[in-house]
Amino acid sequence: MSGDPAVYFEDIQVGEEYASPGRTVTEADVVMFAGLSGDYNVLHTDAEYMKASQFGERIAHGLLGLSIQQGLLDRVVTAQVTGPLAAVKWKFKGPIKIGDTIHVEARVTGKRDGEQPGWGVVTMARRVVNQRSEVVQEGETDHLVGRRPA
Amino acid sequence: MTAGQPPRRMYFEDVQTGVPLETPAMTLTQTHAALFASLASTRGAEPGTVPDLLPLCVSSGLGWRVPQPPLAVLAFMGFEWRFLKPTRVGDTIHSVSKTVTKRSMKEGGVVIEERSILNQHGEVVQSGRLTLLVAKRPAA
Repeated sequence: MSGDPAVYFEDIQVGEEYASPGRTVTEADVVMFAGLSGDYNVLHTDAEYMKASQFGERIAHGLLGLSIQQGLLDRVVTAQVTGPLAAVKWKFKGPIKIGDTIHVEARVTGKRDGEQPGWGVVTMARRVVNQRSEVVQEGETDHLVGRRPA
Repeated sequence: MTAGQPPRRMYFEDVQTGVPLETPAMTLTQTHAALFASLASTRGAEPGTVPDLLPLCVSSGLGWRVPQPPLAVLAFMGFEWRFLKPTRVGDTIHSVSKTVTKRSMKEGGVVIEERSILNQHGEVVQSGRLTLLVAKRPAA
């Protein structure tokens, strides 16, 4: 599937940490995400309305931030470490504004058997951090990772 | 707002618990999958499947296409979500949701929504709970 060296469930250690490069969230990202998701909520699309809001301007969709951090982490871990998602618990703690630069910090916090033989579940704690070192999103993701073939 | 006219937005006071709401459906195409992968710079999904997070993202847009005024969301606070089955290119998804809890706060109120995304076979492919901060009706 990819050129990455094979990593199996057995190779991943609890406590492993990853940090991604940064990415500046642009107006184009927000407009594209509105078009793709169909979420045209005023929070993300009406600059005039948002001037009077607590944020003072449009903010990125929370799920855009979630999607971007997934892509950022994909750039620093081998494919198998962030295998298919099984579960996400997520908190949106602060706004991501147009022009903010975010990166993700992740740590493996747990491993357990999967429901299907041949698969394990890796739990990762993640924090999305902006250029002011504020945690704007954080949560936990469960991924299915294949076991080393016998 | 003039009396007798439908409200332009749905406020915390208007939210009813336990009322199921079904969205229109959308067929997920290779274009959706490619746009999502390029926007998020996620690793390509298995050929023929769509990225895990895409159905959730699309369900947020489908949620605005129901016959009621848009909810006056102040902030999306968080969610818990489970991915139960893969979604393939060509699958047609829609979502069914209901408010299970509402809690009044000083500024607005917290609304917890239970949502399931179903495919064209009626299988639940993803489901979970979303927590929203919703504005209260402004004083007249």
